Amino acid sequence: MNVQPDLDFIKYLKGAGGDTLKKCYQCATCSVVCPLSTDDKPFPRKEMIWAQWGLKEKLVADPDVFLCHQCGDCTAYCPRGAKPGDVLGAIRAYSYTHYGWPGGLAKLASSAKGLPMLIALPALVIFVLWVISGGMTIPSPETFSHYGYQQFFGHWDFHWLSKNVFFIDIMMLPAAGLAVFAAYRGVSTMWKAMAANAGMESAFRPSVLQFVKEFLWPSVLEIVQHDRFRECKTNIDRVKGHLPLMLSFMGLFTVTVWSALANDVFGLWIPALHGPMSVWNPIKILANVSAVALIVGVGILWSNRAKAEADAGATGTFYDWFLIWEIMAVGVTGLLAEIARWSGLAAPGYIMYFLHLVSIMMLFLYMPYTKFAHLVYRTFAMAFERYRDSAYGKNPLDQ
Amino acid sequence: MDKKICAYICTGCGIGEALNIEELSGIVSGEMKTECKDHSCLCGSEGRAFLEADKAAGINTFVVCACSPRVMQTEFDLGDDTITVRANLREQVIWSAGQAEEGSEDSHQEWLNETAGDYVRMACARAKKTDLPEPYLLETLHKEILVMGGGLAGMTAAREASLAGSKVTIVERAAQLGGKALGWTKQFPTKAPYAELEAPTIGALIAEVEADANITVVLNTEVARIGGAPGNFGATFKPAGTKSEWDAPAKVGVDEQDRISKGEMEDPNAGLKPYAKNNGDAQKFGAVVLATGWVPADVSGYEHLGYTDNDRVVTNAEFEKMAKDGKLSGMNSVAFVMSPGGEEHDQDFPYANSVTSMVALKQAKYVRENNADAKAYILYQHMRTPGNMEMFYKGVQQDDGIFMTKAAVTSVTPSGNGCTVVAKNTLLGEDLSLDVDLVVLAAGMEPTTKHENSINLAYRQGPAFLDLDLFDGYADSHFICFPYETRRTGVYTCGGVRKAMNMEESMEDATGAALKAIQCIESADRGVSVHPRSGDKTFPEFFMQRCTQCKRCTEECPFGALDDDDKGTPLPNPTRCRRCGTCMGACPERIIGFKDYNVDLIGSMIKAIEVPEDDEDKLRILVLVCENDAYPALDMAGMRKHKISHMLRFIPVRCLGSVNMAWIRDALSAGLDGAMLIGCKYGDDYQCHFVKGSEIANKRMENIGDSLSTLGLEPERVRSEQVAITDYDKLPQLLNDFVDEIVELGPNPFKGF
Repeated sequence: MNVQPDLDFIKYLKGAGGDTLKKCYQCATCSVVCPLSTDDKPFPRKEMIWAQWGLKEKLVADPDVFLCHQCGDCTAYCPRGAKPGDVLGAIRAYSYTHYGWPGGLAKLASSAKGLPMLIALPALVIFVLWVISGGMTIPSPETFSHYGYQQFFGHWDFHWLSKNVFFIDIMMLPAAGLAVFAAYRGVSTMWKAMAANAGMESAFRPSVLQFVKEFLWPSVLEIVQHDRFRECKTNIDRVKGHLPLMLSFMGLFTVTVWSALANDVFGLWIPALHGPMSVWNPIKILANVSAVALIVGVGILWSNRAKAEADAGATGTFYDWFLIWEIMAVGVTGLLAEIARWSGLAAPGYIMYFLHLVSIMMLFLYMPYTKFAHLVYRTFAMAFERYRDSAYGKNPLDQ
Repeated sequence: MDKKICAYICTGCGIGEALNIEELSGIVSGEMKTECKDHSCLCGSEGRAFLEADKAAGINTFVVCACSPRVMQTEFDLGDDTITVRANLREQVIWSAGQAEEGSEDSHQEWLNETAGDYVRMACARAKKTDLPEPYLLETLHKEILVMGGGLAGMTAAREASLAGSKVTIVERAAQLGGKALGWTKQFPTKAPYAELEAPTIGALIAEVEADANITVVLNTEVARIGGAPGNFGATFKPAGTKSEWDAPAKVGVDEQDRISKGEMEDPNAGLKPYAKNNGDAQKFGAVVLATGWVPADVSGYEHLGYTDNDRVVTNAEFEKMAKDGKLSGMNSVAFVMSPGGEEHDQDFPYANSVTSMVALKQAKYVRENNADAKAYILYQHMRTPGNMEMFYKGVQQDDGIFMTKAAVTSVTPSGNGCTVVAKNTLLGEDLSLDVDLVVLAAGMEPTTKHENSINLAYRQGPAFLDLDLFDGYADSHFICFPYETRRTGVYTCGGVRKAMNMEESMEDATGAALKAIQCIESADRGVSVHPRSGDKTFPEFFMQRCTQCKRCTEECPFGALDDDDKGTPLPNPTRCRRCGTCMGACPERIIGFKDYNVDLIGSMIKAIEVPEDDEDKLRILVLVCENDAYPALDMAGMRKHKISHMLRFIPVRCLGSVNMAWIRDALSAGLDGAMLIGCKYGDDYQCHFVKGSEIANKRMENIGDSLSTLGLEPERVRSEQVAITDYDKLPQLLNDFVDEIVELGPNPFKGF
């Protein structure tokens, strides 16, 4: 391997929470204590020296970087204070930017400097849409109690698509679409790089069905069950936060899908499906339980993170905090909007609802570039790990 | 001195219960014709008062039959005008006795008393033969210290000696003080947090030395020869780079002298003054600090590194000069190669120690400080950063542009304007190929003693230190126990000539050497030994009338203390002497001895051992035990109550080298059934305090084995063994096995003659 260390890459990592990376002296204590590391080419020791040497190309194509759950055992035991857990976090942050598309947006989402812009962008879009939708009014208490936020973007009589849904769709669908495309693009680039890096020349490729069945689904199952998270020792409490948070996302995803179906599809025939649901509607119950779980979950992660930074010396970064703040914002604005609706406070409710929309759009739009991207990258890295060790990952001629 | 001897049996520590004191007193007063008293606790204040009262009553030779001579030394020291002799009844009799077997309590008690009786006899015999020592004093003592080499170590030694009140002369070959340190761009950090390189301090030290009224600096000068002895060295100087008739002559042995006289060989010393010739113009010194430093090692032998034909490959010394001269422009990526072994072995360049690791770290910093975008690669097999230098390593590690990995560098080849370095077995998990502008090899520091005599002594045993082959060209220093010592008393090496070391280490080392030099001079002033028998007032005395000029003493002295005249008669230099007695052991005429330790004295002790006749159960075996390591090990075996055979009789000796084979013959002809020598380990990792003693004794024992067989005695009756001080748990087994072998052989056939 002809080595060309990338000084800028090292500088980036140092600025993104990996400021301690140069302290590593390769004793491999980290790889020994890591509950997730494998016997064969264990991490994070090798990632540490690659990072010290600025070997960017090796690191962004290294599935181990994503297999790390940053439980912090390595950081706690490191005799040099090199904080391998934080360094790997920084490498992941770099990778999301590296694989992010469009590059400008990915870069914007990678640092605190971009934060005003990151908020301003969806806020402006939604405000403009609110203005041009002609809604632009705070409803009367009667309207508010009857429709809630269903007429935030106004109302028209076009039966087949409500005005509100239309406006939400035209902003959220492109945002989500962009995110899905960017994530797909990033993951497939990463997959190719990982395959090339692992020296895999597979003669066969699985069908999509096979891929999902053999590699993706088992990984998803593992993630849902938090099997790897539970291996952690130092920060085992994170499971208490991450699990409800993840389940709440699944719950809210279900609610969103149902709402879309109910409003945009079934609502065409059953107008009663429009309008706020009863509190006792099972879907609404799921939504509210999920919302509370979301706030509780992210709250636990928030305090864990703060504690890790105060006690264990973990480095606070924009990358880590942005996601926590954002999820907290989604949960809090949603809940406050709902409380405002129950209380009949139209004006504060509308403001909360506006903020809720902004935070949701931020979540969608920036998913592939921020820490939220671990949702897809780690899932696929885990799938890759299975794929690499499977028959597909090996050239039958070499066996 | 008119000796008044009295023996004192201490009945404390269980001695009174275990032994029949009455019987012992009887032996002393009857057989040994010496007054005898006992006391329940001789080492206590009452016991001391008891002894002092006797001293006041005129007793001047005290035979203390109590514990080991290694303990209670001040308690039983009754003053310079008295002699104290010890009988070790505690550790080596009652504590080594073991438990009586059932049904044999009587015989156990019997041999216990026999053993104790022999130790008391030996002590009384010793007391009779011991004389009060009179220290050897030089007519004129010179206290000035000669420092050879005006580099960092030499100047530090001079400065420290001066601060302690000594006059010092520094002899420097070059035209200025400073040595190698003048060429350093920066120095290693010396204070917390040990992260930043420091500006050179050598200039300040030079100024200090030049301003010091106690220090005389002689530049452009070399030492032609140093004759004499500590307290009275005579150094002849000459202009640097010239030849002089006073140059130290090479050693010419007896055989070589023969060939020279027959014209078969050219005299290597033609035109030089004989070594023993005294130069009246020589400058006088009390001790010498050798700080002649080091030279960069040659690295052209490593073909795969291409030093010889690739001008982009330099040594660390050359790179330092490039940095000093400001010629680092264009050096934007530099690889530092620490180990030349490729895949063969992982050793660093020879003579590296930890210095080259730190130099590489320092020079990597130069590369980075010269250009913020530059990259420095350190390819090491060992990163050695002792002590606080670990902090320096950590600091350098923090630099974004310094890349380190353990690696086996397998080739350096020219490419473009630079080189390609290929390294295997790296921490990165795969082989590396690095394109760099320059490769720096971490060449080591070879001591000047590897290439030249350096010290230039006019001694019979030659102008250089001995055994340089064993120590890669470093002066033999007894590295395990006494790293400061050389085998030339009064000569202390420090700095790069002693070990590859950095500046801070050199300064510490030089301070130590200065103090050693002062200690040596002060000891010579008091007429006592400096090392390792510090404070010993005795010294070997020669009865020259009976000398046969056999030259064994002059050849065998491990410290070159003995010169000789034209005929070969030894010329002792008591201030060079370490009092090991190797000369005494060597002398076939038995004309060498100390006041309290000589052939007659130990011989009398051996003869004092009672040898029961016609009793196969009561064999007697003599064990001469080196008092440095083996005797303490034996005491420790006793403290741990390890059982040692009752047939053995131990006599401590200064060093096995002092064992005169006459004693073995005395023992066997007196009817003893075997003899054993126990000394320190010898060889490459020797532990012998006198370097060669146990090795020489072993040779002598081989020879005596041959002569025993001509007498019809089994050579197995004599043996030489080596133990370490930590072997106390193995020692009883070793001794008891030997006893079993002697029992197997049966009693000495000469018994009773």
